[in-house]
This record gives sequence, C-alpha cells and structure tokens, in this order.
Amino acid sequence: MLLELSEEHREHLSFLPKVDYAVVAEFGRIALEFLRKGSNPKVYEGAARKLNVSSNTVQHGVEGLTYLLTESSKLMISELDFQDSVLVLGFSEDLNKLLLQLYLDHRKEIRTILSELAPVFPSYHNLEWRLDVQLASRCLRQQIKPAMTLKLHLSQDGEHSNQVLQTDPATLLHLIQQLEQALGEMKTNHCRRIVRNIK
Amino acid sequence: MELSEYVQRGCQMLADPGCFDLGAFALLLRAAFRSLLEARADEAALDHPDLKHIDPMVLKHSHAALATCILEAGKQKADKSTLSTCLEDCKFDRERIELFCTEYQKNKISLEILLGSIGRCPLLITDVSWRLQYQIKTNQLHKLYRPSYLVTLNVEKEDSVSHPDISFNCTMEQLQDLVGKLKDAAKSLERATQI
Repeated sequence: MLLELSEEHREHLSFLPKVDYAVVAEFGRIALEFLRKGSNPKVYEGAARKLNVSSNTVQHGVEGLTYLLTESSKLMISELDFQDSVLVLGFSEDLNKLLLQLYLDHRKEIRTILSELAPVFPSYHNLEWRLDVQLASRCLRQQIKPAMTLKLHLSQDGEHSNQVLQTDPATLLHLIQQLEQALGEMKTNHCRRIVRNIK
Repeated sequence: MELSEYVQRGCQMLADPGCFDLGAFALLLRAAFRSLLEARADEAALDHPDLKHIDPMVLKHSHAALATCILEAGKQKADKSTLSTCLEDCKFDRERIELFCTEYQKNKISLEILLGSIGRCPLLITDVSWRLQYQIKTNQLHKLYRPSYLVTLNVEKEDSVSHPDISFNCTMEQLQDLVGKLKDAAKSLERATQI
C-alpha cells in the first residue's frame, strides 16, 4: 500500500531538500516531540531565525514531516512501500534513507500515541483483594459471613480511579468461571479462523 | 436477653389470660412475625374479629412488645432456654412459652437473613458479563489486530438496590492478570475454610 501525498503536502515537504540533513533530523525530533507533548509555536520561530526563513516555512516543514510519519505509522506500511511512497517527492537517496530511518525508529511509539486517540471505556489497571469474615453487626450477633473485598483500579485518559466492591464466595467462583470462559473463547476454532483471515 | 420496662409490661399483659386468651395470643404472635418478615404484611392484622374485644391501646402495646422481643431474640441468636427464662420472667405460662418458641423456631432463618441484611457494606458484585472483540482499525490507526474484552460487573447496593454497572476494557493479558488475582483470592478463601 502506497501513501497518497496531496499537492499541498508535497509542497510543504519540498522545503526539506533545501536544508542540511542534520536540520531534517532535527525537524524529525521536533515532530516527535510535538506528537508526544503537543506543538509549541515558539520552537518554529527559533528555528526560523537560525535558518533565515519564515517561521511559516519551518512550521509547514515540521507539520509535513509529522503527517508523513503519522500517516505511514497509521497504515503500518512496509519498508518498501514507504520508500516507493517518498520516491515521488524526488528527494535524494540519502534524504529518503533518513526519512525511512525516522519512520522505522519511531513507528512503534507513534502507533502507541495514535492508539490513545481511540474512544475507549476505562481500562483495567489492577486488582487488590482482602478476605474478611463478618462476625457481628449492630442488628445481628454471632455471624460467620465470609466476604471478599475487591479494590478495582481502572484507568482512563491517563487518570486512575478505583472502586471498592465486595462479593461472596459463590459469586467469586462464578466470576472466575465466566472470565475463564471469556479467555478460552479466543482459542476456539471460530476465533482462530477470524484472526487468521483478517490480515 | 434484656428487655426494657415498657416491653416487659407489654409482655406481662400478653401473659395475662384475663387480657389475652390463648387464641388471641396465638393470633397476635403470628401477626407480629408476619409484620416483621413479610414485606407486604397485612396492616389490618390487629383488626381481626377475635381481637375486637381487646382495648386497642393494650393491643398496640402488646404487639410492639412482641415484635421487640422477637427482634431481640433474633439479634442475640437466643436459644430455647434463654428464651424460656426471659418469657418466664414476664410471667408467661408453659403453653404460651411453647407457642412462642415453636413460632420463633419456624421463622428463625428468615429473621436472621433480615437482620443480617441491615447495615452498610461496599457495592456488591452479583454477576459479570463479557464481550470479546477483535480490534481491526480506528480512524487514527490501522492494522490493530488485537483481541479486546469488555467486562461488565453487575453490582447492587445493600438491600438489593440496583446500581449502574461497572464496565471496563481489558486486553487478553490484563484479563489473565485479573483472573489470576481472583483465583488467588479464591484459593486463600478455600484455605481459610479448611482451618
């Protein structure tokens, strides 16, 4: 699968061959930094002054590079497809190699960042448990009532929350049985066939 | 078993054959158990024709005394001898003690369940549902190709009031972690019961 680069995108990237490879590498570093932490326009101005070009040009260059990297990572294109895709830009072989290296080095991280953008429920983080036996209460003395207290830690958008729950022995065994069935389901022929065929 | 003076006076009225004959006593005793244990107890129990001849004030007082007596016995898990001693102190005769103890024995378990359910506790998990999905792509990311589980815990508050479910996603590894920890918990529970 090849990348489809729009006219505008090609134009933004056309700035790259005009500067040193070291500057392109620096742009790559900035692009990744922005993906991690969000963009910072001040960086454009600093770089623009050093390179003696307008800050818009720098911004377009970095954004073009960011788009190139995120789009390739999103589609998870192969090394060969990446090389063929950037070929149409008419860059030198060395610059193409540099871009490929940037892509391969950071693909995994970019995919992790992109995966955080998907809409999700809170996700499981951890579980703590405590075994209690209730012995008496205000309303009833001489009890023997085993209870499992569970503290469920969930995370959503990088924030952790927790919930204290309780369950009785029979329900605990039922939960385990149900969730083991859920795990076992992945090993069934039906699921394996789907997993094998969706590529 | 300690009863307040007011309750003792109510019980003494119940013990008095001039106030309650054995039939009326039995009727009131059953009505007292019913009003405690049945959610939709017959509110007109005290209007029974066989109780008509008793002064309403006395009837109400005795009914309250019986109910308190039953709850106190349930709370302390009183055995027959404790119960008998207590009722003897209130001047109950053999027949009435026997009747009370029989009725108490019959309703003991329901009474304990009722009393045990009063009080606060964390949210109770009652069931779990799950859904397995294979993630393929999002608008931001293609070729995900990984299984993902959606787990929903059904929970309720004390006294069976329902509460919104708790749902969360987990990967296969996370679900294995969760099941592993629940199994550890179950194992220690099993060990504890063998002591």
